[in-house]
Formats: sequence, C-alpha cells, structure tokens
Amino acid sequence: MLHDLAPQLFNGLVLGAFYAIVALGLSLIMNLTGTINMAHGSFMTLAGYLAYSLVLRGTSFWFALLAAPLIAVMVGVAVERTLVRPLYRREPFYSLLMTFGLSLIAEEAFRLIWGANGVPFSPPAALAGTVSLGFMSFPVFRIFIAVVLIIAIAALAFFLTRTRYGLRLRAAVQDTEMIAALGTNTQVLYAVNFGLGIFLAGIAGVLAAAMLGLSSTSGNALLMPAFVTVIIGGMGSLFGSVIGGLLIGLTISMTTLFIPAASEVSMYILMAIVLMVRPRGLFGEEGIFG
Amino acid sequence: MTQGREIAVFAIALVVLAFGPLICPLIQLDITILSEVLVTTLAVLSVNLLLGYTGLPAFGNAAYFGLGAYGAALSVTYLHVNFEFAVLVGAAAAVAGGLLLGPFLLRRRGIYFGLLSIAFGQVFYFIAYRYTDVTGGEDGMNFPRPSLGPGFAHISIKEVQFYYIALIVFAVAMVAFRAVVRSPFGRTLVAIRQNEVRVRYLGLDTDRFIFVALLISALMAGVSGALFGLLINFAYPLILDWHQSGNFVLMMILGGAGTIWGSLVGALIYVIGKDIISTITPLWQIFLGAVFVACVLGFPRGIVGSIGALVRRRAVSEDVSANEAFDANAPIEVGRGV
Repeated sequence: MLHDLAPQLFNGLVLGAFYAIVALGLSLIMNLTGTINMAHGSFMTLAGYLAYSLVLRGTSFWFALLAAPLIAVMVGVAVERTLVRPLYRREPFYSLLMTFGLSLIAEEAFRLIWGANGVPFSPPAALAGTVSLGFMSFPVFRIFIAVVLIIAIAALAFFLTRTRYGLRLRAAVQDTEMIAALGTNTQVLYAVNFGLGIFLAGIAGVLAAAMLGLSSTSGNALLMPAFVTVIIGGMGSLFGSVIGGLLIGLTISMTTLFIPAASEVSMYILMAIVLMVRPRGLFGEEGIFG
Repeated sequence: MTQGREIAVFAIALVVLAFGPLICPLIQLDITILSEVLVTTLAVLSVNLLLGYTGLPAFGNAAYFGLGAYGAALSVTYLHVNFEFAVLVGAAAAVAGGLLLGPFLLRRRGIYFGLLSIAFGQVFYFIAYRYTDVTGGEDGMNFPRPSLGPGFAHISIKEVQFYYIALIVFAVAMVAFRAVVRSPFGRTLVAIRQNEVRVRYLGLDTDRFIFVALLISALMAGVSGALFGLLINFAYPLILDWHQSGNFVLMMILGGAGTIWGSLVGALIYVIGKDIISTITPLWQIFLGAVFVACVLGFPRGIVGSIGALVRRRAVSEDVSANEAFDANAPIEVGRGV
C-alpha cells in the first residue's frame, strides 16, 4: 500500500493542477462579470479536438498545444462579444442559463464533427515512457503536464500582479465603473478577461485530452470538480482556486487508493466540511457574491 | 387576472385535459406523452417556486426529482409496495434530500447558491451511478408498475388510468401551489427576491422562509420524479444529472418565471417538442440548446409572462398583481444578495 502512496500522491497533485487551472478560468470570468460559464468544459473539449485534428494533419504536438487554445480563444471571444455581453446588465443567472444552452449545442456539434465515440489522442513520443525518481517511477508526460500547468499559473499570477493591464483587470473586479471613468475601455477588458479564461481552459483541454482521453463530454467531466474547487477555494479568490484544486486532487487520489467506491463523492464531502466551517470558502472574501 | 376569471380558466383547462385520452388519438399523440407533460409540470413548478418567486438560482432540482424516481423504483423493487406507497416513498426521499442539503445551500445566495445546488445535486448522481448492486448503476433499474390500492381491492394501472392519476395530482398541486404563492408566506418569498435585506430589517428570518420553500420545492420535485419513474417504469442516473436540472429551468423560463401557468406551458412545449423533434432528427440537443440561448437573449419573460405583461399594459385599471410576472429588467440584484 505504501508503495503506491507516492505515485498516487503525485497523480493527485497533477489532477489537482487541472482542476485549479480550469477553476482559475472560471473564477476570472465569474469575478469580473458574475457569469458562471457553464460552457467552460465545452471550450476545453473544443481545444482538445482542435489539437487532435491539427496533429492528425501533420503538425507537431507542440504547435497544437499552442494553436488549439488560441483558436478556442477566438471562438470564445466571439461568443462573449455576441451572446454573453447582452446579458451583463441582467441578473448573472441568465448568463449561466445561456452558456448552459451553448454547452448543449457544443456537445452535439462535437459529436457531429468528430463522432460519438472517443478518439485516440496520445502524447508525442518524446514525452512517452516513464522516468525513475529513485523511490518511484512516473510517466514523463504527467511530469510535463505538471510543469506546463505550473508555468501557466505562474504566468497568470505575474500578469495579474506585475503588469499594468493585469492591475486594471483586478481593479475592475473591485469597481468597474471607476475603472471605466479613469479611461480604461471596459468592453475590451471584458473580452480580454474572457479570452484569458478560455485560454487557460484550452491548455488544460489539450493536456487533459492526451492524459484522460477525448470525447464529446470529456471537458464537462472536469467542469464539476472545477465548480467544487471554486466553492472550496472561495469565490473571488484566485489563490483559493489553486489551493482548492490541489486539495481536491489529493482528496480524490487518496480516496481512490483507500476507498475506491467513494472516489467521486469524496470531494463533495470535503466541500460540505469546508462550508460548515467556513461558508465563504477557504480564501473567499466576505460579501462577494453573497 | 381576477379571481373569478382565474377559476374559470383553471376549470376550462381541467375539462380540456380530462378529455386528453379522447383528443390524443386525433392528433396522433401518445397518451403517455400527455402524462409526462403533467408530471413534468410539477417539477417545473418546484423550480419556479425557488427561482421564479424567491429568486434563487435553483439549478439542482434534478436531485430531488431523481430521489423521487429512485425512491419509487427501490421501494417497488425491494419492498413490493403498491402505487400510492411508491409515490409516498419517493416524495419522502426527496424531502429527506432537501433536509440534508438545505442547511448547506442556505449559507449562500445568488449565483453562489446556484453553484452549490449544482455541486451538491451531483452527489446523488454519483451515488446512483456507483452503487451498482442496489441501483443497477449506469444501466439504471427497470421495475414493474405496481397496482393502486390495497391487495384485496387493487386497480391495475394502465396508461389511461395513469393519466387520470397524474391529472388529479396535477390539479391538486396547481391549487396548492397557487395557495402557497398567494399566502403571506408566498408574498414574503417574492419580497425576498426583490430585496432580502429589507425583509430581514422587517424582522423576518429569511433563512427559515427559504428553507421551507426549499422543502416544498423538494416535495413537488419528489412527487414528480416518483410519478415519472412509475410512468416509464425505469430509473436511471441521468435523471439526477445537472443537465436535467437545466432542462427544468429552461421549461420554467420558456413558460414564464414567476407565473403559475407558465410551468404547464413550458413543460407542454418541451415534452411534446422533444417527442416530435427527436423523431425527425437526432439533433434534438442542438435545438434544445438553441431554444435556451434564444429564450434567454430575446424572451426572458417567457410565454405566459409576456402575455401577462401585454394584458396588463392594456388594462392597467384592472386588478393588477404587480409581482406576478418576473420582470427581467427590474433592479432585483438577485446575484449579489446579502
């Protein structure tokens, strides 16, 4: 049992990093506009399928890893400008419903284009195989995923805290009207913010496709843990999303190891405990979103 | 609508529905579809109470619906109970679910409430999915439709009998629902939707009101789910899934949030539309998604809500019930409650 513990711990952290990055994208969009993007999983799936099609047409995995999320961002920004924007003035609930409808359309469209069954999408040969770490051996691709996700999260943190535009974005979360009065085009800000969230989802989508498989519903499978991540980490807190994601990843991997039957339910139990002790979530700010 | 006219409309609707089994063959509609409409309406009403009246994004009512269906399925399969007892068990299971989740859901408002109900609702999906030995897991569980009444005087329930049972339950539910939303309790729920802080300042414990609303909602969804399970003689994990919750919300928006008749109209269009479209094309889901998007963007009041607004504009002098229709553009600020 102890022999399995180390790799399973590491697996949990990689899985948690996925949840974290999806939750970060969700949080970004939610914090600024109050939109719960139910189509977030669809954008992940879209990026995964795009990467699959690109590799199938002979491009390298590395190119696909960058290009597929970027195409997903273009689609995402187009959707934001045309369909989500009219709903900003209304209650946030309407944008939740609208994006839910979009996810239904997307799921069926994926099935039409890429077939009802999952498609094989494997990591490149350079990342195949395992590496021995002395006390355990671990798939190279998972280490690569961990590195990419850490870089993405670090880059986001840098952007939000160290660049002017990132600061404006955070300021807009506090007070959008004031930021607009000070001369920032908030409509561009909304679009950039949405695109950023989709870009994170896209990267996670491509990596998840190669690690967990690719089908028309594969993105949605990661969406629910990401929601739980946001709740546990606390709405309004990006740091909370990272910690929450890792916590859930570890919880799931540990219950899979010790009580396999409870692997899916475990994160909800964790969520219930967190809510009892701290209703706003671990790092949530009181007052934001009730 | 004045009280007299309302009773008249209700009576006419009931009479028309009572002839359902005669009308259905004329328009080549299966009677089970009409039963499904009536049963589904209860679930839509349950969402309506929370979302349309109280302003809480109830995106997890499939949990109670599914608990109702599984409650009926499990009690019929393992305890061999009769029809009415199966419905009772389903309803009790749903209310128990509401009692369990309520304290957690109550902690937050606005979209956070929505997020919590989506997430907690999914727990039951995974339980049904995982406990294969008892629930049949992903394949679901088939079960025979039990007969009504005690063993010595039982009536077997064919499709037509089922329809009339559904109609009676539907009629009772509509009357009860109207009584609830027109009572001081129901008015308070609407006040909570409009401004919860103010209701609190008036000295009312809004948490308690919302909890009771949640339990009523769970009860209605549970009865609906139990009848649905008994209608199709089948319970499967996907009826507990959040997609199912989303469909209920769509039906409510389609018909008109915060209107009693809207729930029936929404369920009618959805269930019959699904039946017709899915025989023409396998792309039913794209239609459904498009209806979602179109409804939210262009038609937020829904059918009954829009008609209601039109009628009111024409006859402002009449007895106006200002808070009957859900005004999408009113400054309600549901999303950023206390």
